[in-house]
Amino acid sequence: MQIIISNSSKEPIYEQITNQIKSSILAGELQEGTAIPSMRNLAKDLQISVITTKRAYEELEKAGFIYSIVGKGSFVAEQNLEVIREKKLKVIEEQLGAVITNSREIGLSLDELKQLLKILYEE
Amino acid sequence: MENVVELKNVTKKFKGFSVKNIDLQVKQGFVTGFIGANGAGKSTTIKMMMNLLKPDAGEVKLFGLDYKTHEKAIKERIGFVYDGNIFFEGLNLKDIKRIVAPAYKQWDDTLFYQYVEQFKLPLNKAIKTFSKGMQMKASLAIALSHHAELIIMDEPTAGLDPIFRRELLDLLQELMIEGNRTIFFSTHITTDLNRIADYIAFMQNGELVFNQSIHDVAENYALVKGGLNLLDSDTEKAFVHVHRASTGFEALTDNIKAVKNTFGDTVVFERASLEDIMYYLKGGIHHV
Amino acid sequence: MFNLIRRDVILQKRQLLIFLPVILFFIIIDKHPAWTFLIASIFIPFNTYAYDEKVETNILLNSLPYTRTEIIASRYLGAIVYMLLAIGVTSLALFAFNKPFTMIDIAIGSSLFLLFAAFTFPLFYILKPGHITMVVMISFFLLAAIGPAIVLFLAEHLTAITDFIVNLSVPVLYTGATLVIMVVYVISWVTTTVIYQRKAF
Repeated sequence: MQIIISNSSKEPIYEQITNQIKSSILAGELQEGTAIPSMRNLAKDLQISVITTKRAYEELEKAGFIYSIVGKGSFVAEQNLEVIREKKLKVIEEQLGAVITNSREIGLSLDELKQLLKILYEE
Repeated sequence: MENVVELKNVTKKFKGFSVKNIDLQVKQGFVTGFIGANGAGKSTTIKMMMNLLKPDAGEVKLFGLDYKTHEKAIKERIGFVYDGNIFFEGLNLKDIKRIVAPAYKQWDDTLFYQYVEQFKLPLNKAIKTFSKGMQMKASLAIALSHHAELIIMDEPTAGLDPIFRRELLDLLQELMIEGNRTIFFSTHITTDLNRIADYIAFMQNGELVFNQSIHDVAENYALVKGGLNLLDSDTEKAFVHVHRASTGFEALTDNIKAVKNTFGDTVVFERASLEDIMYYLKGGIHHV
Repeated sequence: MFNLIRRDVILQKRQLLIFLPVILFFIIIDKHPAWTFLIASIFIPFNTYAYDEKVETNILLNSLPYTRTEIIASRYLGAIVYMLLAIGVTSLALFAFNKPFTMIDIAIGSSLFLLFAAFTFPLFYILKPGHITMVVMISFFLLAAIGPAIVLFLAEHLTAITDFIVNLSVPVLYTGATLVIMVVYVISWVTTTVIYQRKAF
């Protein structure tokens, strides 16, 4: 499991961890049932305090991404990927709607917008 | 048992200095960093935890036990490291071990020699010939060789070079993999804590200002910067300390929400480091 | 607690090398055997104080799983243990050099030692560190110099007491002396424990 944290980022470290584990799970890199490192081992490896990884794991558990069994460790929970995909798509639609509204306001054409999107997407 | 150390309303008075009404809990399985300026009362508090000093009032409990009735049982479970060498200077490490080891029921010789090797400590040289860093490593080797559940350290990093400080933090982090271990250590080098501390206990002028998780500290305290025109006797109430300059003000708040409500987007927020907090609170807490 | 007593030997490995020559010296210059027994007994327990007066040592001992009562008990019991050992070694040495000595010499030597210990031990925990060696030296010489004079003075002027003592039978005298010394030693022990309980490090 690869996690890279930045101490200078504005995003709190526990959030960096939860976000990266979430995306690994959503991208299918971490399969259902896979054991993830214990929070104490992760803290040592990332050279951060235990309470930070503890908080990250707690949030992941709350959001249903992982589950913990006392004495055994934490595992990737079963994900209903269809549902998650659907939800994400809905968010993307909303956000694109806002983009389009803004674009019309300043007279940005569809082609120009596509161009901009292409550049940003490939960045 | 969640709290390994529990101080309730502890007070100790000396001539011209006192530690007042300390309520402090040290949580099991975590690292608590104990910060404060020199003379804030950190050592006095640690000494009361070790029963080297008896409080004038209040209650000190370790592992839920009282020193009056369970002194040996308590100390059996503590590993201690003090600022400065407390071992007989003229003796070598082997002899010191021969004096200390039999005191503990749980002493583990194999573990001790493992640390000696890991720290590259000479066994047959007098302790007084050791450098500061080596003396510290020797204390640590001894403190860690009896499977202590609680490790109490008074300024373990003072006077050590950055490389050794780093090594020490690595080692402590490794110790924390074992979930039931607790570390309590005082320091005035706050950068040591960013990496390892779970809780921060902060002392100032003999009083405990707070004992919070690093998340709570980060969520409550912030540096706020903005133009002088924003300040008046009313808005200033949101701050613990305000520093004014001709270019604008910089202030510390312990209530980010209140500041956001008052000032909205007109001010800039910055994460307050422990050093910022120590610096701005040096006069004690007084809402301006 | 046995560990605390044993600690003195580990601490004083080197000093012990001087121990034998010193005893031999006293034997060769034909000091009174009682005197030699006294010197030999004092050696280890009082050397330990050079270490124990340091704050660091007290911090160490009190941070280890020992109670303060035990730390003081180890002092008092240790003094007796080392006295017995010293008497053994000295007896052997006297024997080897063919110097005659009696049980009375041993009794006088050890009584003086126990009394000396009983008077000085509490002082160690009252006085500030750094003064202790000085106090031991001074009190030792005082005891050696004035002690006999006081006894003589008492013998001359308080005839009631001396008459009483002289009239005692030998067994009663010995038992009485032993009891007095024991009581003094125990009182000193209790006093020191009380003082040490209240100390801050």
